[in-house]
Amino acid sequence: MLLDFDKLGGLKPFLIGLTVLVCLFLILPIVFIAALSFGSSQWLIFPPPSWTFKWYQMLFSDPRWLWSALTSLKIAAIVTVLSVILGFLAALGLNRGTFAGREALRALFLTPMILPVVVLAVALYALFLQLGLAGTTVGFIIAHLLIALPFSIISIGNALEGFDKSIEDAAILCGASPWEARLRVTVPAVSHGIFAAAIFSFLASWDEVVLAIFMASPTLQTLPVKIWATLRQDLTPVIAAASTILIAFTILLMVAAALFRKGRKA
Amino acid sequence: MVLSATTDGGQRSIRRNGSFGYVVPALLLIAFFFIIPVLMLLMRSVLEPTPGLQNYQELLGSTTYLRVFLNTFTVAGLVTVVAVVIGFPVAWLLAIMPDKWSRLVMAIIVLSMWTNLLARTYAWMVLLQRTGVVNKMLISLGIIDKPLALVNNLVGVTIGMTYIMLPFVILPLIGILKSIDPAILRAAALCGANKRQCFTRVLLPLSLPGIASGALMVFVMSLGYYVTPALLGGTSNMMLAELVAQFVQSLVNWGMGGAAALVLLLVTMVLYAIQLKFLNPNRVR
Amino acid sequence: MTQPFLSIRGIRKTYGQVTAVKNVSLDVAQGEFMTFLGPSGSGKSTTLYILAGFQDPTDGDILLNGQSLLSTPSHKRNIGMVFQRYTLFPHLTVGENVAFPLRIRRVGQAEIAERVKKALKLVRLEGFEDRKPALMSGGQQQRVALARALVYNPPVLLMDEPLSALDKKLREEIQFEIRRIHQETGVTILYVTHDQEEALRLSDRIAVFSQGEIDQIGTGPELYANPATHFVAGFIGDSNFINAEILSSADGKAKLSLPGGTVIDGVPMHAGKAGGKSASLLLRPERLSLSSTQVGNGLAVTINDITFLGNNIEVSTLTGSGESLSVRLPFGHEAISSISRGDQAWLSFEPKSTHAFA
Repeated sequence: MLLDFDKLGGLKPFLIGLTVLVCLFLILPIVFIAALSFGSSQWLIFPPPSWTFKWYQMLFSDPRWLWSALTSLKIAAIVTVLSVILGFLAALGLNRGTFAGREALRALFLTPMILPVVVLAVALYALFLQLGLAGTTVGFIIAHLLIALPFSIISIGNALEGFDKSIEDAAILCGASPWEARLRVTVPAVSHGIFAAAIFSFLASWDEVVLAIFMASPTLQTLPVKIWATLRQDLTPVIAAASTILIAFTILLMVAAALFRKGRKA
Repeated sequence: MVLSATTDGGQRSIRRNGSFGYVVPALLLIAFFFIIPVLMLLMRSVLEPTPGLQNYQELLGSTTYLRVFLNTFTVAGLVTVVAVVIGFPVAWLLAIMPDKWSRLVMAIIVLSMWTNLLARTYAWMVLLQRTGVVNKMLISLGIIDKPLALVNNLVGVTIGMTYIMLPFVILPLIGILKSIDPAILRAAALCGANKRQCFTRVLLPLSLPGIASGALMVFVMSLGYYVTPALLGGTSNMMLAELVAQFVQSLVNWGMGGAAALVLLLVTMVLYAIQLKFLNPNRVR
Repeated sequence: MTQPFLSIRGIRKTYGQVTAVKNVSLDVAQGEFMTFLGPSGSGKSTTLYILAGFQDPTDGDILLNGQSLLSTPSHKRNIGMVFQRYTLFPHLTVGENVAFPLRIRRVGQAEIAERVKKALKLVRLEGFEDRKPALMSGGQQQRVALARALVYNPPVLLMDEPLSALDKKLREEIQFEIRRIHQETGVTILYVTHDQEEALRLSDRIAVFSQGEIDQIGTGPELYANPATHFVAGFIGDSNFINAEILSSADGKAKLSLPGGTVIDGVPMHAGKAGGKSASLLLRPERLSLSSTQVGNGLAVTINDITFLGNNIEVSTLTGSGESLSVRLPFGHEAISSISRGDQAWLSFEPKSTHAFA
């Protein structure tokens, strides 16, 4: 009866109480940051003595913040495109191929996601120093592509798993070339997987900190690197403003994903 | 060497089966920018400054570094235990509560998970500082009379890391608990077991493989964490990932950096292997 | 008045707007095998769950030996139950599963071993103590579940469609085992099923559930020979229904006019709504006679199809007004040789053996 909600008895208030506390624990820091970003106190006193937009003004008037945001956007966009293309091809190969060692290969492709990022960051940094890629956009993209690719392979792989290949064969019998069939039949059929791959790849790059710290140079910084560098000096409310914009962005993505899922069901 | 072996094998496979070609671009990326650099780093750990194992001797022999290992395992262990103890009841409720409520809680969990890591860590830096809300609340409630040091120590790291790891415990556990048939618990009750007995003798043993698997995953993730310990922890209680970064960034000691990275890598891989071999929840039942 | 062993009194259960059980009352004697028979959603399982304590009734009471059970939580009711799904504890062996209720009751080790052995012997699974449930067939698992439910000698055993996941042959085999175990142990059994054959084979008495209520309680032959409602008549045994016009009715007997114009008298009449003009007449396929010429009370029909069913022949026929009626004749019946598809024929029956429902 422990798994019957209506028959939990005395456990019910305990479980509900704990869950409410955990929800507060998870949501309050986020709400708190958003509130502080509009507070007037330089020392982040809460509740704020009065409300202001000045941290946002400071954020937007500093070209370094804007520039780092644009850098983040650019890198994340390129990583997303490459990750989806490479991920689609790799998932197709793993899904359709009959060659030996596919399981081992799949595991290899997913390893960058589960290993400590700092190991990958240090190793790549060493290599890029030798290749002259350290502090370059190309280096950044390669580093982020490594951790975005597993998300694409998983998302698109799952979608391909649920797609009957004979539909593609039918398109070929109708006269389409294999690649035409793939683009016109398979790609639309797994579009939800591609969409998920794109969102996850984008977020993987956009939010990534550790690799970015090692790949960055004084002239090439993504938004997380800029926040990191500022944070190491002081806790200025400008970071609260930047964080709030990032949080708003996250909520927007979540809503978009939820709407997309709803649209697919309807 | 590794590279040529891979491509040779690849070409033979292409002739046998065209589908292999699809994975080649991803494979090249992984080979060039993942396998090779990691191997090179490991080579440097035994070659620099002179060939030999002296880097590992120093790393595993000095009390300074042993304290780092101890810190790392303490924090990871603490975070894992706290996250599981708090996360299990939440997952339990989410597995059985009506959908309309669980959807709201899930949205909160996912929102916190997707929120930028630095934003979340920043929030805790502000909340836990000496003049922060947590200290103020504790004082006004009369629990303490002067502010506690909650950041730049293990307390801060543990709170911040637990915050990040909770969703990784809760989400998989929901699936595990949903896969247990409620009728089994009903049968236990009719057999005479009271709530405590139903829990300790049936529900807990049945969810234990899932708990162990989730706990191990969180433990491994915590071991290699860099950002949160670096910002919420103090210099006196450094964790392994910070040590790796410090060797490379501040000390430019690639030999020691490589050695520390290898130790971290090895521990991670061994724990994952254990997870796959013994604790894969899909294999139980 | 003697006190009934188990008494269900006016049980009602609603979920918001939905009423699952409307008003269920029945008494069960000690040692009786009582089956709740009905289609899914008829309230039979909900009633059983209320007995087990998994759900609380909105209204009503349940008495065991005159004591109300409702305030007792499930784990103290000392009731045994076998579920529709497999509910053995997957982390325990068969022996540990059967021992579980005894361990909870802090029975001594030696006695546990002895009683587990006895319980497994009862379900013919001696020597399976160390197996894990996952390695056993569905039938074996349900037998272990039965042993686990009986090992603590509960006064009442509940069974919620325990055989519905098994195939037909296995089902019949275990039905036989259940019957034997009931006789050997003398435990009172409440059994839920939607399968009339299973109910008829196992039960002392059957309570037929329909839309949250009990339509009728009785032995199998009683329900078959004397159905109280149209629903019971249709659910127990095979049945044909045709519409008839009520000419007059008195003392539970009616005079009816059939579609072909034939008038029959002395038909047992049930649940007659005052002033109702039309009735539904139950004609059991095996109580109909078929002949090529008109004899006695009956209907003119056309032969539609003849199907051989082993020891029976089923003849499906159409009346002049287009209603289909099936007739069951023993193999080798003389009427078979003289008819074929499309022939005109005559169906006759004894009015006393039919039932009309208004």
